[in-house]
Amino acid sequence: MSISDNIEPPKITNESGAYHPINQTKNYLVNLLKGLGFEEVSGPEIESEVFNFDMLNIKKSHPARQMHDTFYIENKTNVLRTHTSPVQIRSMLEAKPPIALTSAGKVYRKDDDATHLPMFHQVEGIYVDKNVTFANLKYLIHEILHDLFGENVNIRFRPSYFPFTEPSAEVDIQSDNGKWLEILGCGIVNPIVLENCNIDSNKYSGLAFGLGVERIAMLKYGVNDIREFYKSNLDFLNQFK
Amino acid sequence: MKLEYKSIIDSLLEKPSMELLSEKLFQLGHEHEIEGSIFNMELTPNRGDCLSVNGLARDLNIFFGKGPKKEIYTNSIDTLELDFENLSPKDCPSISFLEIEIGNNQKKYKPYLESYFKNLRLNKNNFFTDISNYLSYETGQPTHCYDRDKINRKLTFVNRTSNENFKTLLDTEVQLEGNNCVFVLGEDVINLAGVIGGKNTACSSDTKKILVECAFFNPESVIGKSTKYNINSDAAHKFERGVNILSQEETLRRFIKIVEDHVDILSLKIKFFNEMSYQTKRLDINETRINNILGTNLSKKEYLDYLFNLGFAISDEVEIPSFRNDIVTQNDLAEEIARAIGYDFIKSEPLNLVSKKNSINLKENVLSSFLVNNGFNEVVNFPFCDEKLPSSISIDNPLDSQRDNMRISTKNSLIKSLLYNERRQHDSVKLFEIADIYFKKSNIVSHVKKIGIIASGRQGHNHRDFSKKIDINYMSCTLDPILQDSISLIEEIPRSMLDSKINDKIFYIECNLDLLSIDAQLIPIHENKDVRFTQYKEISTMPSSSRDVSFSIENPKNLNRLIRTVDSFKSPNLKKSFCFDYYINSKTGIIKIGFRFIFQSSSHSLSDSEVDNEMKLLMNKTLKIDGISIPGILF
Repeated sequence: MSISDNIEPPKITNESGAYHPINQTKNYLVNLLKGLGFEEVSGPEIESEVFNFDMLNIKKSHPARQMHDTFYIENKTNVLRTHTSPVQIRSMLEAKPPIALTSAGKVYRKDDDATHLPMFHQVEGIYVDKNVTFANLKYLIHEILHDLFGENVNIRFRPSYFPFTEPSAEVDIQSDNGKWLEILGCGIVNPIVLENCNIDSNKYSGLAFGLGVERIAMLKYGVNDIREFYKSNLDFLNQFK
Repeated sequence: MKLEYKSIIDSLLEKPSMELLSEKLFQLGHEHEIEGSIFNMELTPNRGDCLSVNGLARDLNIFFGKGPKKEIYTNSIDTLELDFENLSPKDCPSISFLEIEIGNNQKKYKPYLESYFKNLRLNKNNFFTDISNYLSYETGQPTHCYDRDKINRKLTFVNRTSNENFKTLLDTEVQLEGNNCVFVLGEDVINLAGVIGGKNTACSSDTKKILVECAFFNPESVIGKSTKYNINSDAAHKFERGVNILSQEETLRRFIKIVEDHVDILSLKIKFFNEMSYQTKRLDINETRINNILGTNLSKKEYLDYLFNLGFAISDEVEIPSFRNDIVTQNDLAEEIARAIGYDFIKSEPLNLVSKKNSINLKENVLSSFLVNNGFNEVVNFPFCDEKLPSSISIDNPLDSQRDNMRISTKNSLIKSLLYNERRQHDSVKLFEIADIYFKKSNIVSHVKKIGIIASGRQGHNHRDFSKKIDINYMSCTLDPILQDSISLIEEIPRSMLDSKINDKIFYIECNLDLLSIDAQLIPIHENKDVRFTQYKEISTMPSSSRDVSFSIENPKNLNRLIRTVDSFKSPNLKKSFCFDYYINSKTGIIKIGFRFIFQSSSHSLSDSEVDNEMKLLMNKTLKIDGISIPGILF
């Protein structure tokens, strides 16, 4: 027996890498929604104007459809989707209520500055059934925000405007310093959208909501600069193991 | 839009404090910031009717009651003879013109007009333009003032396609192109409708006789024009969101009253051009529907009271006021009532959905999990590039020429990510990205989900792998469980093509996920439900410094003590440490063990002495252990 046989050499611990923090947050949200009864669906990032705008009651004159807000491709034949809502439209055209769906993924808007990026991520959910009400929507949003920010978080609903929901709301949470931070948008699915998807709006109603993944990730991890997520900096990424 | 606190409460019966006013504005959905006594409003695009003092006050009436009505000119006015033709009534179904001639004895501005300019820090222009601007602030209806003497030919409103120059009253040249709604004098454009008037017919401080234009433009006819021509226009902001089609006479009579407050009026003439009669919109009275949308239990009386107080007329139906262009369906009425109740006062009601377990990204999850467990970091890159290939999808309106195509591979993005980290002193870089890649196939947009994996530098930061560089063998062995038959696709990327002075070889592989067969049973998936959301620490942009120390251990029993001492060592700037060398002399039993210590400050470049001082603290601790020495170092 040699001397070395009695000595335990330093352990070789394989260094693990890290999932991207945006994907970690996105998957967390999707899993949370699955737990609340939403089935995950997906759809393409390149969309027609019909699915990205028309079916969602976003009129031709809506500012979001202007060239300065939306990326158009191949001589305006299609757009880079500006939200994940077209996935819900595609799903509603295929399925009959009751449906509870969540979609997550990359979306694009023509922005590029210190607080806006041309690509970011959204997680959305839609639930269509008989007798779905704004009161149900409030319950669901409270469930989501209590999971993310604790049972004691103060939540505020504010009226807002989205062409695809009516009534529409933006939801804020109160931070430790007392300031209100906008967290998500939501509302009762506009009956026009249901009818566009061949769903009888006199029989069914729906609720819908959408969260910006970067926004949630920044709040949860304490990241102040959204651009850090997309520099591929290992000093940054390694912190999210 | 900025509104003065005083001008808002002057239009209300009760006089709420700023705090209460702010709270109620939020309840109504009118986001704002308070700057001194100014409410800086960020109104949603459907509420064009609130883009004025009167409009916002009207929405607040439900809480604070109606204040006194602003005075208007009530006498009869002669009819104006004007050579005007509306060639596009679809774009402008209603327009009115007022001609005013004034005398010379103009008085000082009344307090309401003076404070508008003073408190909102606005520049005055000339008497008539100042009134027009104030009136837009007060009523929400933009007006435009022409110098009457310059309107000396036929005036026409037309939506026409043209390519012509137009000089705005701000003295800027605009090259009009495509379809535009314009006012034309003879053949010359004198006004980009709903956006800005022209220099040639503008009023000056000497103007005594004006023609005031007051119109309703179809929002769809004027939207996007101010952005297209880079003109910052309050009028465009309002017309794009819709003004009250029935407010023109009242607005012009208010205009006259303000003029009359300041100067003698010599003559007045007015003319209305209504191309189509306005039909009041109506909705059924249906409190059951509203309760079904909101989940409330309102009585019919409560429901009707809310609507009445919000300005809706109630007959056998709900009549929609002409200023509410946004109310079309019962859901819109539901939102009105919810705003009045307060969203936060509507009780929540549980949903009973059954938890779902489906996973649409199983293969992606398995691959990510495997790679992360093997030391690879996931990155997410933007899909834009400047490389134009036959199958590339081009972006019509890119952010810039460097981003005018969609990438058809993750390769260049990952190379950039690798070089970025090498330049930041990372000597072992292993990255991967999974992304949907879009391309043209027979001119049809197609996509595949791809995984790209790139690696270069040291195999690892431990004594077994530190001296080994990533090579084809390492890549093949490491990635075999997930790539199998695709392993032959691993390529070496020549450094000569890159802006890099490092010699380590770079290896890359890219695969279509559909072509990979993965046995999910064999590879555990990391559950993201377990994400801990650990708090991020600001990363330093300062250069790092490293020190290598080789310890000699005479008594092997003290090896673990040394390792524990090193592992537990904390100092202000120590970023990372690891064992990079380990050797036992089998004859003498002496162990040699090497550690690398990497230091980095968050605030400055560390000097050698600063690093040495931190190292001394560590070495002093380690050298207290029996039989430990650092060859070449004496203390």
